[in-house]
Amino acid sequence: MTAWQRSFSRRSVWFLMPALVLLGVFVVWPLVRAAWWSFHDVDLLAPERAGFVGGGNYSDLLSDPRFRRAFFNTALFAVLIVPLQTAAALGLALLINRKERAWRWLRVVFFLPVVVSLPVLAVVWSLLYRPVQGDEMGLVNAALTWIGIEGRAWLRDPQTALPALAVMSIWQGVGLQMMVFLAGLQGVSREQLEAAAIDGAGAWQRLRHVVLPALRNTRVFVVTVTTILSFRLFVQPYLMTRGGPDDRTLSLVQYIYEETFLNLDLGRASAGAVLFLVWVGMLTWLQRVFFKEEKS
Amino acid sequence: MQVRARSQKKLRVFALSVSLICWAVSSQAVTVARVWSHQGQEAENRAVLEIAKAFNAAHRDCGWAVELTFFPDFQYTEKLAVAAAARDLPDAFDLDGPLVARFVGAGLLAEMGGVFSRDELADFLPTIVAQGTIDGRLYALGSFDSALVLYYDREMFSRAGVEAPVDARGWTWAEFVAACEKLKTAGIEPVSLHMNESADEWFTYAFSPVVWSGGGELIDVEAARVRGVLASEQNVRSLQTWQELFVHGFAATDPVEPDPFGQGKTAMDWSGHWMARSHLAAKGKKLGAMPLPVIEKPAAACGSWCWAVSARTEKRQVAEAWLRWVTDSKTGVAPMVRANGAVPSRKSAFAEFPEYAEVPYRVFKTQSETARPRPRTAFYATLTRSFAAALRDISRGADVAARLKKAEEEVQRVIERKEGEGRRAKGHGAGDGASVVPTAVEGGL
Repeated sequence: MTAWQRSFSRRSVWFLMPALVLLGVFVVWPLVRAAWWSFHDVDLLAPERAGFVGGGNYSDLLSDPRFRRAFFNTALFAVLIVPLQTAAALGLALLINRKERAWRWLRVVFFLPVVVSLPVLAVVWSLLYRPVQGDEMGLVNAALTWIGIEGRAWLRDPQTALPALAVMSIWQGVGLQMMVFLAGLQGVSREQLEAAAIDGAGAWQRLRHVVLPALRNTRVFVVTVTTILSFRLFVQPYLMTRGGPDDRTLSLVQYIYEETFLNLDLGRASAGAVLFLVWVGMLTWLQRVFFKEEKS
Repeated sequence: MQVRARSQKKLRVFALSVSLICWAVSSQAVTVARVWSHQGQEAENRAVLEIAKAFNAAHRDCGWAVELTFFPDFQYTEKLAVAAAARDLPDAFDLDGPLVARFVGAGLLAEMGGVFSRDELADFLPTIVAQGTIDGRLYALGSFDSALVLYYDREMFSRAGVEAPVDARGWTWAEFVAACEKLKTAGIEPVSLHMNESADEWFTYAFSPVVWSGGGELIDVEAARVRGVLASEQNVRSLQTWQELFVHGFAATDPVEPDPFGQGKTAMDWSGHWMARSHLAAKGKKLGAMPLPVIEKPAAACGSWCWAVSARTEKRQVAEAWLRWVTDSKTGVAPMVRANGAVPSRKSAFAEFPEYAEVPYRVFKTQSETARPRPRTAFYATLTRSFAAALRDISRGADVAARLKKAEEEVQRVIERKEGEGRRAKGHGAGDGASVVPTAVEGGL
């Protein structure tokens, strides 16, 4: 190390300071507090009365059928969302990855739901999903009736509520991943594509052997981010179904929220949040292990 | 450079003088109590603000004042919880009636036994005193109460050949169902139950009377037990009866409009005092109101926002004076009730409101005789969430017995955990102490 490098690394500490302090105060410290609380019986209204309960909150959560239900729902949601949304985003990105100006406005159209506030969309989709009542029904059921399929109470039926929310969520979120894929597509080598075309590769072969391998890192990123986002499910079920019917759309985040603000049980809520963090962290880590990013 | 230095000097002088002025003002010793209120309807907020202004004007001589802050009603309870956690509760605040027990359990509310004389307390509606009384001690009082009635449209009734009951008496459930039948045959949608209401509280508030009327309870408050209470046979029967309304299409499970009755789309409205003014404006003489239909015995809902003083306040005198002021017939109750059309919490305030001789207000007063507050238990929040979720599912066809049983187990689990923790932490069970239930209310049933 040269003298300059040494003085630089000493000075760099100061440049890192603001970021470190902010992260420490707003991320690390709350995490440490939550972890500490998760081993205590803490009443949100009177945290000073907290008593140590060891792993009580954890064992309690893991044996709570409602918590298990919330976990199962959220995992199911992720399983529904991640492959479909990634595939749909890629499809849309391929569709609109064209030079002509006319296609550009489609990007805006597909991206629009990402920008609109989720509560507004929740209200709109609740109306779309309205069950048949007398001669009134939502647009989804009206469309189905028109093509001869009997309408259903999508959000009220325990079988269809979560899938219905998943459809809405894919529609809402797909624009974001589409944009990421679109950016990735710009990095696909034109020469390779042209060479493949000259060698007689069809559209499907070019996609499989040229485009998809080139998008590897983008795909890893999209899958990871979509997984994390899908586990954070809260607004759609909270506003559209309140976790019902029969807890079939109860999400982990709603469970944690209710533990905090309804049962006012900060200890259990913290334990839930820690479990949530560990779980999502583990998933992310596993994904990194299995789909290693290629270092360029 | 020089210019800047001079202006900086000026600035410093200015800052110094400002802080001097502040110091001078504060040394005049005005004790300012922090007061929080939930943000209700616009008129309500204005009324609270005026009440506070009047309080400050009246107490200028003794150097007391309140500083009022509003928070949106939709997350107000969360706001209070977070403030309690941070030991930052204001000196006085309002909270929803069913929450009082939980706050008292956490030691957050000051007891108010001595603040009001026996005569003054006798002037309050017994329901309001009951709402704020936990284990025989008074912690909170409101300036108004709520009322839940069955509004109806006389014209639609006569079109369908339905006869409204003679005043002050409600229908039996069978009469209610027969009326629904007739209305439906006449092509009129019978009743709105507001199943699209987003707040869980509506469901517990509006339909606990169905449970009570059938002779059941939501929870055994004294024993802190829901098992065998919430999913009891009577309750299953009562709520099956209630479910019939949806099965037969008498009420919509997924209404879209907030007020179909006001729009002339339904003949009856299962709703509260807060709709009285708009219904009167929309219907005029056509508007009728009656107590809720009775399964076995009459039952009605009551309870509303009430005021309390923080146990940790250092400005207790001011906070208590505010509480007296805001629940006083003249200075608090009358302006508030004028603004929100609720039921005055003090008997002496009724004189200010001649409309209580007429429909629908007259019914508010009579139904309050059979009204009871929602269960005063520390587990209310859990109870109301589980009960509301069960009601939503039941309205959409869930099996009543199984669904109630599930809700019961959910709540019981939370209770047992808390009790267990309480024992571990303190060496004795939580929720101890004989509860002295205000006789005025339970006796009225």
